[in-house]
Formats: sequence, structure tokens, C-alpha cells
Amino acid sequence: MNENTASKKALSLVLLVAGVVLMALALWMDFSKNYIVVNIGFKVALRGLFLVLGALMILAGLYLTPSVMHHRTIINIIFLFPLLFTFAVTVIVPMCVGIFYSFTDWNGVTYTKMVGFENYAAMFKEAPFIWSLLLTVLFVVVNMILVNVVAFLLALLCTTKLKGIGFFRAAYFLPNLIGGIVLGYVWQFIFSNVLTQLLSSPYSWLAKTNTAFIAIIIVYVWQYAGYIMLIYINGLATVPKDVLEAAQIDGASEIKTLFQIKIPMIAATFTICTFLTLTSAFKQFDVNLALTNGVGTVRGFMGQRLSNGTQMIALNIYNTAFARDMYGFAQAKAILFFIILACVSLVQVRISNKREVEM
Amino acid sequence: MKKVLALLMTLALFVSIGGTAAYADGVRLFNGKIEIDKPLQHAAQVYEEATGKHVEVESLGGGVDLQATLKQYYQAGNMPDIFVGEGAEDFNNWSGMMVDMSDQPWAADTDAGFVDEATGELVGFPYTTEAIGLAYNKSILEKAGVDPASITGPESMRAAFETIDAQKDELGITAVIGYCANASELYWSTAQHLFGQYLDAGLARDDTTYFDMMMDEGKLDTERFTHFAEMIGLFNEFSDPALLVSGNYDMQVSGFASGKYAFVTQGSWIGSSLTNDYKAQYEEAGNFECGYVPYAFEEGIDTILTNPPSHWAVYKDGNAEEALEFLNWLAGPEGQEIMVLEAGCVSPFKSCEIVGNDPFAGPIAEYTAAGKTSSWHWLGQPGNMAQDGTGVIFQDYAMGVIDTQGFVEDMEATIPQFCGK
Repeated sequence: MNENTASKKALSLVLLVAGVVLMALALWMDFSKNYIVVNIGFKVALRGLFLVLGALMILAGLYLTPSVMHHRTIINIIFLFPLLFTFAVTVIVPMCVGIFYSFTDWNGVTYTKMVGFENYAAMFKEAPFIWSLLLTVLFVVVNMILVNVVAFLLALLCTTKLKGIGFFRAAYFLPNLIGGIVLGYVWQFIFSNVLTQLLSSPYSWLAKTNTAFIAIIIVYVWQYAGYIMLIYINGLATVPKDVLEAAQIDGASEIKTLFQIKIPMIAATFTICTFLTLTSAFKQFDVNLALTNGVGTVRGFMGQRLSNGTQMIALNIYNTAFARDMYGFAQAKAILFFIILACVSLVQVRISNKREVEM
Repeated sequence: MKKVLALLMTLALFVSIGGTAAYADGVRLFNGKIEIDKPLQHAAQVYEEATGKHVEVESLGGGVDLQATLKQYYQAGNMPDIFVGEGAEDFNNWSGMMVDMSDQPWAADTDAGFVDEATGELVGFPYTTEAIGLAYNKSILEKAGVDPASITGPESMRAAFETIDAQKDELGITAVIGYCANASELYWSTAQHLFGQYLDAGLARDDTTYFDMMMDEGKLDTERFTHFAEMIGLFNEFSDPALLVSGNYDMQVSGFASGKYAFVTQGSWIGSSLTNDYKAQYEEAGNFECGYVPYAFEEGIDTILTNPPSHWAVYKDGNAEEALEFLNWLAGPEGQEIMVLEAGCVSPFKSCEIVGNDPFAGPIAEYTAAGKTSSWHWLGQPGNMAQDGTGVIFQDYAMGVIDTQGFVEDMEATIPQFCGK
């Protein structure tokens, strides 16, 4: 028994040390750019091999550590490791790197200096950005109302006993299955070529800021209402039949049933849909890009003439990074964007929790 | 236990070998012009047969953000050995990371290489030349009795337009000129290529008077710019109303290919579209000959704007030596034959005498031989100025929201937001 433990201990130590050495070597190769390449039929660099092998050896070494007291903890960590690692690599690390870059003058390739909070201060002095921010808020408010109203009406329509209701449900939902870029171009054709003919106006709606904004809203509602409709249909289906029957026997009219019974009973669904539309409208990008690419004239905003009249905040951030090569500045804007969205989500969680308690 | 462990380690070994990047020899070329992908692959193949050295061509384009992709490659340690860039705006990011090619044999054979202003090094290899002039359909002009050589200034341009406009029905054309100011689709045509005429038209290739004035002070020369604006006004007047604001690139070029417009405001890249994408329409319209007149918004402007639209740079930390060898070969007779005849490029090298069968290859060669070309300094204007700033002003002007005066004023108000800081 003792011998077994001793050999286990030795093996565990060897594995741990070898693992650390291999990983250190891999890191050294990475930083010194001195990749050792071996030829085994085809050429292979050892860096990645060392890194993965090293990591696995450390894990095996940990597993074999002869400790009764900590064995359970070690096992827990090993089993949690894949998830934690993935989470760190895909969320935590990029987030931290992003925050770091927002304090630099990074242009996507290199950065020359730390600029402190300069990026954060500069964005509030940039009229086009403020315009994008305000426009997005307006867009969100208008859409939150319109999408929900349209979706709820569609849901009511699709829960009646009409013939071919399955077809209508599918038809209303269909726009949601088409990607935003494709949809944007389809509607661009409709606005530029079809609507101009129908209204016999020389210029498309997309050419003027105010009408272009309405156009984006129309397309967005068209795209998103079907999706929200499905959630409402689901909600309406959960209203118990006996309650509705009781209301009917009591002589409640359809309208009364709707306002007094159906709507209060699916209040939770309203919360979900409101926040779904809210967050997704905030992140509006693809339709915006494909439909107007953000252009539009605005006069006299903060004493300037702007050309980005229909540019939502996501597109503004994208252009700041990719068209202007100001990755650090764009990163700072993205952080602000994240904070706004995080606040919205927190409020959402708060409200839905409260409601659940009440019920 | 040990068996399981051994099995696990073996498995891990295979997984990690599988996950390790296989290292390829040779040169990797990152090409930004997807249209010439096939000819480039062919050139690489011929090169490999001749020298035994492998060149891998990776082509992207068609709306892909090339510089963003390149930056991702850089972050991932996956930089290609030769990469594409458009003018100073792109190359400034890579300053100091590119090989100075001024000692290369081809360097003396061309003026079209790209020089990094910060270091004074020749870092960009020119692989083709493109031209921006007012393209015309020769057969329509002949039928209408308009001599393109007579267009030398604003009055003669208007006279030519009016002559053609008066015979629209007999000529079977929709409009005199295919000009499109759609700001979301064609901002690059109006606010870069046409605006570039204001910056360069009629000037010597190294003359940066108006460009410097714009970049340093954020200013326009009001007199010259007003003349330019009047020419745009003329285009607004004589363009196809269906195309002018609500059209797109496809409508514009196919319209010209099918003989609906006598003139079109697009550069020489539409040549390959005429002979490939719109082959059917072009044949039906009689495979007409094409030519260029200068954008003569002032009397005496007699140049068209020619330049490589982008250059290829060699990455210092990559396989630079073999990359340079390949570029050298490409600039030589064998390479140029493939580039000109197969890829439809116009050779930027003086020693190359091959002229391709592209409809615009002849006219460009004539202007180049006569020394009547100006440069493309617009390549150096701020990256998003056209898209986020000036493009929409052309659209407003086309819609009649603003007049010539307003156009000039709006431009003068908008440019300082991007330049002269």
C-alpha cells in the first residue's frame, strides 16, 4: 500500500514537472518566435504539441496526487476545467483585452501609447456618435412599441380558428429566417425600384434621412414581429381553458376577455418580449448596413452638418474600427455600448424576478 | 489504471499532432482583387514549373474588408508574405514592417510603385493600372456626330451633351450619361473617384496642391471646386432619373454595356465587366468601342487619372526573399504576359509592350504614351470620409435638396470634420 502511494506520488510529481516544463517551452517558443519544426513526413511545429501535452500532463499529475483530503476538490476542478477554460478563452480574456485596448491608440496592428480616458472623453465630443446614440434610443423605443403591438395583434389573429392558420403562422415567421443583410437588400430593391414606381416619386425613401429612418423601422418590424408573435402565441396558449369558459358563461365580451383575462394572465410574456425587442433593437446592425449604410444628411446638430443620419450605434462602432482604423476608440465606444446593454439586462432580470415572486 | 492513462496519453498525442499547424514552404500571396484569382493561380503554377518554388494565392474581395482580415491574420501570427493595400491610408498601419523594394530590378521600370512617405522606401509593387476618366461609347458619339476630341472644357462638354440629348430617340438611348449618386451604394464612385478629379485632374502626377490643402487645412479651393460642382450639376441634369439616386452599380454598368448611355462615370474596371458579366448585352449593343474624355470641368484639363488601385507589399518577417523573387518574375515578360492577356491588367511597366483586349486597354495606353495622366491622390483621403461624410452630399445635390452653391458650402463644412486636424 505504502509502496503504491510512493510510486503514485513519484509519477504525479514527474508528470507535473514535465507538464510545467513543456508548457514553459511552448511559451518560450511563442515569445521568441523560435518555433522548432520537425519533419515527420510533413512538417510540424512543436509549439502547439508541447502546449497541449504539457497541459494534459499537469492535469494527469493533479489527478494522481496522493491526497485524501483534497482529492475531491482536485477532481471537481479537473471536471470543471473544460468549461472554465472555454469560458475564459471566449469571454473573460477578450473582455479584459478589450478593456485594455480601449485605453490605447490601437489601430488594429500596433499601439504606440496609452491614452488614459481620452477615448472615453472624445466620444462624447463627437457629434456623429452622439447622434447615433440618440437615434438608436429613439429607434429602440419606437420599435419596442411597434413590434410588440404588431406581434400581439398577429398572435391574436393566429390563435383564432381561421382556416389555414398554420400557413399564416409560418408566413409571418418566415422573414425572421432570412438573414438581415439579404433582407436589407431585398427591401432596398422594394424602396428604390418598386415603391418609387408605385408612388411615382423620383427618389427612394432611403435617400432622405427621415424617410430612411421610417424605412428601417418598417423593415425591422417586418422582420422581428413574426418571431415575437410566436412567443405571444405560446403565452396565449397557456391561458387555462376553464377560466376562459367561465368568462364566457358570465357573459364577458371578447374585448373584455382580452383585457381583463388574457392580457393580465400573460403579463410575464409581455416582459420577456419587451426586453427581447429592446436588446435586439439596440444591437441593430445588418439591416442598417444593407439598407442605408448609415448615410443621411442632418443639419445643425451640435452646430454641425452630419452625414450619418441613419447610422445606429453598432454601425458607428463598426465604422470607427474598420473604416477609420481607430480600433482603440471603437473599443471604448463598444465598452459604453456594453455597459448600456448590461444595465438594460440587469433591469430585465430584476423585473422578471419580482414578477415571479408575485405569482 | 496505467493502461487507461497510457491510452489517454496516446490519444492526447494524436489530438495534439492533429491540432498542430502543418508548416508549408513557399510564398503566400494575399490578393485583394478576386476577379484576377484564376489568372494569378495560373501564373503561380507557371512559376512553380519554371523554378520549382511554390506560391500560394489567396484571393479575397467582393465586399470583404481586406485590411480587417489582414489585421486578424497579423494578430494570429498568420501574416501572408505578400499582401495588398490601398494607398497611404492602408500602408501607414504597416509602416516599418514592409521590405524596401527600391533595389529591385523592376523598380526602375515603373513610376507606379508605392512609396511610404514616413520612411521614403518603395514598399508597394504595382500589379495593374486602372484609369478614371469619362468613359464614352464610341459608336453612339459617332452616330450623334460628336467628336470626343472636341470636349476640352465645360462649354464644349455641355454642347456635346445637348447635341446627344436632342437625338436621344433616334439614337435609342435612355440618357446621355449614366451617373449614379446613390450614397449608400456608390459613395466610392462619387466621393472618391469623381472627387479625385477635383484633387488631380489636369495636374502633373506629383502635384499635390489641392490634396495637401485639403489634408493639412481642411480647405477646398472654392473657385476650382465650384467649377467641379458645375460639372456634377451637368451630370445630374443629363443622367437617367431612374439611375441617378435610386440606382446601383449593376444598373449603371449594365446600362452602359447595353448602349443605353453614351457616357458613364466609371473607370476602366468596367472593361472586364463588359466582356464577362454583361457579355450578352454588350454583344447585342454591337461590341462598341470605348474611349475616355477627361473630366474637363475647367478649360484645358486634358488628363485622365491613372494609378494602380492597390499595391502589393512584402512582409519583412515572412519569406521575404522568395516573395521578392516571385514579384520580379511577375514583372518580367512571362509574368506580364499572363497578367495582361489573362488577367486583363494594364501593365504599369514601361518595358512591357503587350496590350490586352480589354475595351479600355487601348485608350489608357494612348493617354499614358502622350503623358496625359494624373495621379490618384484621393487614395490618401481619410478612410471613411466618402462613406460617412461627403458621399451623401453628392446625393443631396442629385436630388435637388441643395444647389451648386449649397453643394460647395456643404462640402466645405464637412471636409474639416475629417481633414486638417
